[in-house]
Amino acid sequence: MSSQATTMKISDLADNTGEWLRGTGPESDIVISSRIRLARNVARFPFLSRANVKQKKELEEIIRDKIKDSDISQDLCYLNLADITPVDRLFLVERHLISREHAGGEGERGVAFGKSETVSLMVNEEDHLRIQVIRSGFELKEAWKTIDEIDNKLEKKLNYAYSSRFGYLTACPTNVGTGMRASVMLHLPALGMTHHIEKVFNAVMKLGLVVRGLYGEGTQVSGDLYQISNQFTLGKSETEIIEIIESVIPRITSYERMARKALVSESREQLEDRVWRSYGMLKVARLISSEEIMHLLSQVRMGVNLGIIKDIEMKTLNELFILTLPGHLQKLEGRELNSTQRNVIRASYVRKRLEK
Amino acid sequence: MKCESCNKKHATVHLTEIVGTVKKERHLCEECAQSINTHLTKIPSPTEILTSLINQVAPEINEMSKIVCPVCGLSYLEFRSHGRLGCAMDYTIFRKGLIPLLEKMHSSTQHVGKVPSRAGKELIKKNELMQLRSELNKAVEKEDYERAAELRDKIYELSGDNDED
Repeated sequence: MSSQATTMKISDLADNTGEWLRGTGPESDIVISSRIRLARNVARFPFLSRANVKQKKELEEIIRDKIKDSDISQDLCYLNLADITPVDRLFLVERHLISREHAGGEGERGVAFGKSETVSLMVNEEDHLRIQVIRSGFELKEAWKTIDEIDNKLEKKLNYAYSSRFGYLTACPTNVGTGMRASVMLHLPALGMTHHIEKVFNAVMKLGLVVRGLYGEGTQVSGDLYQISNQFTLGKSETEIIEIIESVIPRITSYERMARKALVSESREQLEDRVWRSYGMLKVARLISSEEIMHLLSQVRMGVNLGIIKDIEMKTLNELFILTLPGHLQKLEGRELNSTQRNVIRASYVRKRLEK
Repeated sequence: MKCESCNKKHATVHLTEIVGTVKKERHLCEECAQSINTHLTKIPSPTEILTSLINQVAPEINEMSKIVCPVCGLSYLEFRSHGRLGCAMDYTIFRKGLIPLLEKMHSSTQHVGKVPSRAGKELIKKNELMQLRSELNKAVEKEDYERAAELRDKIYELSGDNDED
């Protein structure tokens, strides 16, 4: 695990994205990514809300060292979040390497992640340790395999807080048991346009699953991107939870495909017009807000999936969802920007990317 | 207006009694009203109203309200207002209050997922020790001291590397 000059590291990331955005993997026309995270705490230490400065520091050191020792991955790099700027932290949130709460937290805390950005380990988040694995497309089982191995390796070095009755003990009882949140990010523009999305949500909720926006709990839905994840963490095993999600996703994706087909056959001209207008806007606009770009990218992404637009790669589109976010734009420019400045830079950045 | 009953204090309680078809109005001071109208339901104080409400919505809160975790210092009420626990021990200390909460959140209160191999080893060891101890008791009862000595040695051996036993 290296701890090279952190600012350089972050800038290195700015013009790229993680492997999970490459737009490959099963059902990747609709399923953007599959993500699993595990919440773990170290035994004999208070949870973070009751830990003092000294204990937090001690925890950070212990966990960082054990991550280093446990041979999870050769290329893990570790960042201490207290040492980096708010823009850098925002940047890491946008890349899904840390959570919003982790970015906004206080005191000693950090994150370890690999070059491909599929694995990230958050130290001193809401729990002492949060392990996360993200993969491109619909690959929850694969993600589970990877995260389970990492967890086993760490468990040999760290004594986790665990009880046979309640499982892995977490700061918030909503995570206790498996400590696992498995989620799948879906792009559902046609269900949104045809107002069928509510029906999907109602069905999903009945199965004990939750629908959230792009950045998880409490975030707004934009760009027709939705995260579907498990609500219960206690009383079902990790594989059972994954199986429930795995059984639901194909039904949602086929529903979305049906809605797309219906749009094509019933109002092809309107649909094509919408898609091409959005594409045109991205290519010529001089000011684009973050809300607007999500909408435009969503339309174009659907257009590419339906074969209406052929000269743009899925990877580029997926990446643009992330690369045009405020933290990324400020990182690319190397300075803080107000929202008007960001709108100008966002528009010019997208124009450049689409010219290539 | 003075109290009809004592004729001294100001009448603050105005009652309308209907007996059969006769309507009767009475104007009393608070003290007299309390002593005369014992059959009237006492108006509960705001605290009493709150307590009864809490009892209805989450009966465990009242019972648990004085419990504080000796390890992390978190009180059950603090936990209920912030939703975050302070340490692993809280799951034991607040168990009575947590069980109905977990039932509501997860529709279950028993973990069935992954077991850390470390905890697994200890669980296995614990079970094995329990088994040996019950065998030892039986051997002593039967006065089979040879067997008892054997079992005692096994128990020592097994619990030797575990400082908690």
